[in-house]
Amino acid sequence: MLSQLKRLSLEVDGRYASDAELQFMTDYVKSFNLRLQTYQKLQEIESSLLQQAYAKMRSLDPMLFVHGKEEYSHKWKADTSRTLRYVAVAVLINDPDTLRERLLLWFQTILHAFGMEQTANVTYQVLQEVIKQDLTPPQASLVCPILELVRRSLGPTSP
Amino acid sequence: MVTLINTPNPVKLKHPKKHDHYGFRDFFTFDPDKGTIVDWNEGQNLLTTEDFIIGLVEGLQEEVGDAAAATMYVIGCEWGQKDAFFFEKWFEKEFDRNMRQANLLFLLETWWWPFTSQGWGRWEVDMGDRKQGFMFINIFDSAVARTLGDVGKPVCFLYAGLFAGFFTELVRKQLSCIEIQCYSMGETYCKFLVGGQDRIDAAAFWMNEGANARDIEKRLRTGELLR
Repeated sequence: MLSQLKRLSLEVDGRYASDAELQFMTDYVKSFNLRLQTYQKLQEIESSLLQQAYAKMRSLDPMLFVHGKEEYSHKWKADTSRTLRYVAVAVLINDPDTLRERLLLWFQTILHAFGMEQTANVTYQVLQEVIKQDLTPPQASLVCPILELVRRSLGPTSP
Repeated sequence: MVTLINTPNPVKLKHPKKHDHYGFRDFFTFDPDKGTIVDWNEGQNLLTTEDFIIGLVEGLQEEVGDAAAATMYVIGCEWGQKDAFFFEKWFEKEFDRNMRQANLLFLLETWWWPFTSQGWGRWEVDMGDRKQGFMFINIFDSAVARTLGDVGKPVCFLYAGLFAGFFTELVRKQLSCIEIQCYSMGETYCKFLVGGQDRIDAAAFWMNEGANARDIEKRLRTGELLR
């Protein structure tokens, strides 16, 4: 939304915007209540989401939290919680571009430095699965595409 | 980035330990009253146009002729050496640890992020050959090459100098750098080789003989050097 507003203000410099150019604002207003509910729900269930995802990932492969001699469970929780909060804001203001610019481009280089891309890949895959149990289908349809963007950005670049 | 200045960054004031601060609005603080653009690490920034880069490159060419490339390289070296000290300070302040205790790849990514935010391009470090004493760096969207366009030869001497200067200070051993592939040669990205002078001389010789980056990588990996 913020990125779209910024683009709009540049594009309509010196003229009036067309109805088509303003459509995204109408769409946003229509979706706002759902976005706000989803944002509040994410805030409410964050810690349980993290716990469910952690348990599921540990059962899949406990080595996902180990790299070299280091154990990363604690770091994983802090990183995933921070990312979920960015995801929640991206849902609220409908702005995946800002999420990408402020967090994902930087975070993918840091995860790469620590060789944690596969863990990130599984994390945001599992989160999409567990989140569907706690959110309504319309809420999940707002959150899951953003989680998928996170998974594709932070996961391994080649299969 | 030339001088340090004391303009508080509002995001930094509120979240001093925030590491994910490289977005445009987080990293830079614009002060219209003072006319300053200060970054997260309190370095003062200047905005320049592509005309500035053209003026710098062509002006030097006119002043010193063929020595322009070497001059740009030396400017880069001094910048890299100074930046290594600057980086050491802000890294320690931000992460509460000496940079020599950090994971090397994490350290390098952290060093380059301010450059990415400032528009010098994204990078990729290939340290697979580090034990053999050399490494490769890819730069995507070099500010110099993007400005000059396809001129049929490498142009990013400033970057080569920057890497030589920084890595020399980092490993405390004299290192050099050469650009072995450049966007200005019609390639999709720039590639730099960092290593001891003997390897850089060998790469320069092979390039003059018409070798491309892949040939040079192969020859270095087989341990070939100039006799």
